[in-house]
Amino acid sequence: MSEIWAMFQGLGSGFGIAFSLNNLTFAFIGAVLGTVVGILPGLGPAATISLLLPLSFKIGSPVTSIIMMAGIFYGAMYGGSTTSILVNIPGEAASVVTCIDGYQMALKGRAGPALGMSAIGSFIAGTIGVIGLTFVAPPLAEFALQFGPPEYFALTLLGLVMATLLGEGSAVKGLIMVVLGLLLGSVGLDPISGAIRFTWGLHMLQEGIDFVTLAMGMFGVGEIFYNLEKALKTELVTRKITHLWPTLKDWADSKWAVIRGSFIGFFIGILPGGGAVISSLVSYAVEKKVSKHPEEFGKGAIQGVAGPESANNSAASASFIPLLTLGIPGNAAIAMIFAALLIQGVQPGPFLITEKPDIFWGVVASMYIGNVMLLILNLPMVGLWVQLLRVPYAILAPIIVLFCCVGVYSIRNTVFDIYVMGIFGVIGYILRKVKLEPGPMILAFVLGPIMERAIRQALLISAGSPLIFFTRPISGTLMGGLILFFVLQAFFTLRNRKKVPGQ
Amino acid sequence: MGKFKHPGPGFFPFGLAVILAFLALALILQSRRKEEVPAPFWPERTWRRPLLGAAVFLLYAFSLGYLGFILTTCLFLVVWMWGVERIRWLTIITISIGVTAVLYFIFEYFLEVPLPTGFWS
Repeated sequence: MSEIWAMFQGLGSGFGIAFSLNNLTFAFIGAVLGTVVGILPGLGPAATISLLLPLSFKIGSPVTSIIMMAGIFYGAMYGGSTTSILVNIPGEAASVVTCIDGYQMALKGRAGPALGMSAIGSFIAGTIGVIGLTFVAPPLAEFALQFGPPEYFALTLLGLVMATLLGEGSAVKGLIMVVLGLLLGSVGLDPISGAIRFTWGLHMLQEGIDFVTLAMGMFGVGEIFYNLEKALKTELVTRKITHLWPTLKDWADSKWAVIRGSFIGFFIGILPGGGAVISSLVSYAVEKKVSKHPEEFGKGAIQGVAGPESANNSAASASFIPLLTLGIPGNAAIAMIFAALLIQGVQPGPFLITEKPDIFWGVVASMYIGNVMLLILNLPMVGLWVQLLRVPYAILAPIIVLFCCVGVYSIRNTVFDIYVMGIFGVIGYILRKVKLEPGPMILAFVLGPIMERAIRQALLISAGSPLIFFTRPISGTLMGGLILFFVLQAFFTLRNRKKVPGQ
Repeated sequence: MGKFKHPGPGFFPFGLAVILAFLALALILQSRRKEEVPAPFWPERTWRRPLLGAAVFLLYAFSLGYLGFILTTCLFLVVWMWGVERIRWLTIITISIGVTAVLYFIFEYFLEVPLPTGFWS
């Protein structure tokens, strides 16, 4: 009982921190920015947070800057659905499936209920996710105190493999990106012996490749170059949005979808390598399966909007759990927040909750408040944000590029970094063209040093025997899970190949 | 590189390189099995706008040190919106001046980043 009491006490002090005027302001800025980047296609939460990384010092204390960045991340989950429903282009990756039924609803003149339901579903699921975070994170962090190097190696490996294989596109290509990311992460001083690696004699590379420059180049500039090819056009289905509040029938139809979505999202978000994107896909598949009228899916079923939109919000909250308890980010956007913590000199891990309770509880409490702010921003004020879709991409693109340039310049006040970012931008553009997703690479870049330290320390402990990863109970279970996952993946691939002859 | 007992600085990168070699082999085998017609990398001159964008970007980075932040940024916006995208002149001028002013204010005053001033300072 005393543990639960401690959680409520922690949460109470967290609200004290989150309700300070400064933190409320930055939570609000985060929520607004998140909604905006969620709505704007071609600019996701990962790119936006990377844009703000160089500023995180200037924003203020670690709590304040993380509160704002978290707001951007879960706020984008709210905004993303708006574009999916009204334009049939996902505002960000986790709203891809919302396009299917959301756009059909809009075509039938039901854009209002679709937008309303996704905002309400997002709020319910987001709040359920934060409640889960409140009560799961502290015991998990305590459990994680027993983790040694083998466990950390198993966890990072599991996370990277799952992030690739559960994602879209070719598994081989995804794994290649992971390995490249790990290699990029090993440039600079060796964390254990201090030897210099892969610097090609360049002094600038001794401290390693700068994460912010890499992320902004790959996600910000690279994305813009890629979108320039396609001349992104946004055409709205309807000019006026009415009947935002869903009818009683809509409620009855979607209440279970919201609840199921919340739980699916939570459990997928908590997994290493899981995240909002995957959870929305799973939720859509589940809703279609349990529905009594699966034929309505694809023709404007409200469950097909309510489920995935709930799932991605709950997953967004839950994906803070592995970050704040294990120090292992599960997806690219969370990896940015991980980097922000490191920039501020805070090492996320099992000690975070006990050693820096103000950061943990302040951020968690701010997420309760942020969800309320976002509900207000996205329900009565959705019409205002829709105007953003009228701003042509031609105007947004150079502004985003400028932000990247000035942002990267401001880290060390040198133009050299702008060139480096430009090179990463061109690389990011080409990678996108050959369908190599930069997401897993960024994640691997961040996890690389953790993984390397873990495997080398583990082998020192075991005197060179790789069996150490399998004989210890926790890491053995994780490795077993990984092998099981590979077997299942291979099984399903083979089965699908048999089903479709000639492929 | 060291041994399994004492993994050195080269241990991890070497292991990665081995895995990468296997993955590359798998990718080659995979692509040989599929008999699809390779799509052109840049169909219908789609390389034009990304290339222009990259050129303007390079020019921006280059002239920052000489012309200073305000002038370079303004010119960058004008060149991009006119050269890469073609928008109405009135819109271009308003946005260029407005955005430059906002960025300058945020970074120079609010965040106290010393932006490059160029050769006339």
